[in-house]
Amino acid sequence: MIARTSPIVQLAIRAATPIALLIAAYALFAGHNQPGGGFAAGLLLGAVIVLRTVAGLQRPAYASTLLAVGGAIVGAVAIGPLLWGEALLDQVVVTWDAPVLGTVKSGSALLFDLGVMAIVVGLVIAVLDGLGATSLVDRGLRADEDDVRPRRSEPRP
Amino acid sequence: MIWSLLLLHLVIVLTIPVVAARLGRNVLWLAAVPMAVTAVWSATRLGAADAVTWGFDWVPGLDVGIEFRVDAMGALLSVLVSGIGALVCVYAVGYFSPTASGLGRFASTLLAFSTAMVGIVWADSVWTLFVFWELTSVTSFLLVGFKHVDAGARVAARRALVITAAGGLALLGGFVLLVDAAGTARISDLPPVSGGTATAAAVLILVAAATKSAQVPFHVWLPGAMAAPTPVSAYLHSATMVKAGVILVAVLAPAFQDTSVWKPLGLAFGLATMIWGAVGALRHVDAKLILAWGTVSQLGLLVSLLALGTAKATFAAVSILVAHAVFKAALFMVVGEVDVRTGTRNINELHGLRRSMPLTFAVAVAAGASMAGVPPLLGFPAKEAAIEAMIQLSGGERLLVGGLVIGGSVLTVAYTTRFLVGMFGDRTGPVGAAASGELVVTPPRPAMAAPEAILGAASLLGFAALGWVTGVVRDAAVTLDPSAEVYSLYRWPGITSAFVTSVLVVTGGLILGALIVRRPVTAGPVARGAAAVDALVDGVARASRLVAARVQHGSLPLYLATTVVALALAASPFVLAIDTDALYWYDNRAQGVLVLMVVAVAVAAARVSSRLGAALVLGGVGFSVAGLFVAQGAPDLVLTQLLVETVIVVGFVVGLGRLSIWFPRAGRLWTGGRLMVSLLMGVTVAVALAAGASNPVGEPPVRELAESAVSEGGGNNVVNVILTDTRALDTLGEVIVLLAVAVGILTLTAKGSRFVLGPRKVPSDELDDGSGADGAATSPVPTDEAVRP
Repeated sequence: MIARTSPIVQLAIRAATPIALLIAAYALFAGHNQPGGGFAAGLLLGAVIVLRTVAGLQRPAYASTLLAVGGAIVGAVAIGPLLWGEALLDQVVVTWDAPVLGTVKSGSALLFDLGVMAIVVGLVIAVLDGLGATSLVDRGLRADEDDVRPRRSEPRP
Repeated sequence: MIWSLLLLHLVIVLTIPVVAARLGRNVLWLAAVPMAVTAVWSATRLGAADAVTWGFDWVPGLDVGIEFRVDAMGALLSVLVSGIGALVCVYAVGYFSPTASGLGRFASTLLAFSTAMVGIVWADSVWTLFVFWELTSVTSFLLVGFKHVDAGARVAARRALVITAAGGLALLGGFVLLVDAAGTARISDLPPVSGGTATAAAVLILVAAATKSAQVPFHVWLPGAMAAPTPVSAYLHSATMVKAGVILVAVLAPAFQDTSVWKPLGLAFGLATMIWGAVGALRHVDAKLILAWGTVSQLGLLVSLLALGTAKATFAAVSILVAHAVFKAALFMVVGEVDVRTGTRNINELHGLRRSMPLTFAVAVAAGASMAGVPPLLGFPAKEAAIEAMIQLSGGERLLVGGLVIGGSVLTVAYTTRFLVGMFGDRTGPVGAAASGELVVTPPRPAMAAPEAILGAASLLGFAALGWVTGVVRDAAVTLDPSAEVYSLYRWPGITSAFVTSVLVVTGGLILGALIVRRPVTAGPVARGAAAVDALVDGVARASRLVAARVQHGSLPLYLATTVVALALAASPFVLAIDTDALYWYDNRAQGVLVLMVVAVAVAAARVSSRLGAALVLGGVGFSVAGLFVAQGAPDLVLTQLLVETVIVVGFVVGLGRLSIWFPRAGRLWTGGRLMVSLLMGVTVAVALAAGASNPVGEPPVRELAESAVSEGGGNNVVNVILTDTRALDTLGEVIVLLAVAVGILTLTAKGSRFVLGPRKVPSDELDDGSGADGAATSPVPTDEAVRP
């Protein structure tokens, strides 16, 4: 892969991953009151996965699982209220006092966001997969005749 | 009780595929259980004075409900549907070889079909009826195409589906108009309707019934449906599928009696079908096809009687419906047994079976005699009632309808004679290749013989217990026409004019049949109607393939250009809607700087000669736009825009990994064309935005949204509360789009996918795939080869 030859990029992406995950989690939970939300969190995670793929750190996988889980969550949140005679997508807000966090207010919107996030991540992975990222990760980039970049990318074991 | 029976059906339908592998052929016994239970329960409801109902609101806003009502008619029909269904399951145990594959599928589909039929006969809301009607179309498609490796079966199944599904559309239209005219969807409450809407509804519903009940000219699917295994034919074409249309005509006849078209159109369908079906039955040499055409003829008779609308005719129709279900199922079973035990159904090849298959012969004679209307069998009093109903008519109607019905009855006796003599009599066929081989008859199969014998005996017992049958039939007929309660079926009517007519009909039919048997045909007629339907379907498929090849050419630049031009055309009228006075240059000066930046980066993106460079600069455009959002004070948009751009830019790196680093050298035309398309897109968006900004529709409901976000959505970020709560339905729609896109990408690019991307007709310099052959997914394979089955 392009960045496989660059340990700096690899290391940087490795180091950035947990931070990005933390920010994604924050965006997911803060979304209701601050900028963020399921779509943004999904894109953040997606960006992490794209970068890690580019750096050859992982293969894009589990797209269908994520899509299925996300679809199931979103569908359940949408249809669930109908079972209790409420309107489609009716929101339930729960407030409780947690030991450390103080008063926490959340609701089914968070679940909905979670489903959206899973679908967005699934879509990003599907696109990566569709672009043939897996084989590129496996094999590394091969230079073309008119590629002026020096060839020195021997795939590491 | 109704819901628990339907639930039982559903549960067993879903259970069968799970246990099929373990049970083998015996899975059919499992399928018979719900049918038998339903038949027994329905039998207990036969004499009941009150109706059992059950239902629930389905779509309250549209007044659409699932409603069932088991009255005398419903109970009688479900006794036939489920009772014969259970017998067919038992019969199928004998019909299939122990090693036959796909029996789980067969049993499950057969039971699902039976469920749909029970739903039709119990439905009390036109919407319920419609749903189950369509279910029978789908499940019968699966049953007819059961032997799906056989191309003939597939074509026959498709033909049946195309015709009956088209009828289903007509039915939906008819029901919408009917409910509009009648003001209610409840079948038991339908008032007599008349007027333009009602007339249109009557035509549509009659056409729907004609497609399902194989009325001329929609009958062409039925003979082809004989490609199904014989148990299916015995079930679909005796008591169920084809009766659905008849039942529809029966239950709606009271409502439509006042419309001007109902009777003439119904009679036209029915009488033409009765005669043409009987003629067809005389021309075929395949015993199963003889029965199929005979079924067409009998259905024509039933529709004619119901369309007449007199109480006596309705009573006769219900009687014949019962008698036909019993004898036709038995006859199909007989043909199936002969087929299984001798290996042929061709009456030219069959001979002397009355000695080698005595029990089958006895059943065939009993059922055949019932079909011909000969005493002492159930078909006799039923046919007698029909002839009496003809005699009660007057004037030209009596002459025309009566004459045709009597003519049809003569033909019925004739084809019955031909059927029985051809199969069981001595050699009649031409001495030649077909008749040369000796007929080998394999040992009897009890599982086939038992249901046959039961149905054959039922025709006899029905005659013996005619008093009880009369009561049941009368109760059912009264639900359609209250004045039918005075009529009865007679074992011995005395020397009435109807009886004399009957004697003449049988005598004439026997003579005609004997004459035709002596002049055998070597091969059945060519099914021109069916061929025409197939040609139509194939033609549409070919045309769509041609259109698709033209429209889906596979060139991304052309797709893009088409989209942009179409958008520009759509936006062009809005140039006039732009109000220059309402537009202003900027909100704050920072925007000016940012816009210049966007423009500069965009121009740079078009000039860069390295692909990766272009992708990065394109990302720069996106980030500059994010800057514009900052200036506007929209943090959510900024966040999303930045993230999307990041993912896209890095995604580009992956996508470009396959291509060479440099753009190919482009000609003037190519560059000019791209420039034009880009400018067009820019102008289009500008026009749309300017036109939108010039015509504000009231104040934006910012305050209401902000207040409801906190009070109802429980969040302070208005944008996200709109997304997840206030307008969550929109989000749901968008999420579904995302899902569809992702699933599309996964299926299109999956390794070994059957869907192969079309040939890429991009300029050849676009195809500089540096990474070599890499997986079949993106390699250009000619679409035609891949799509063709």
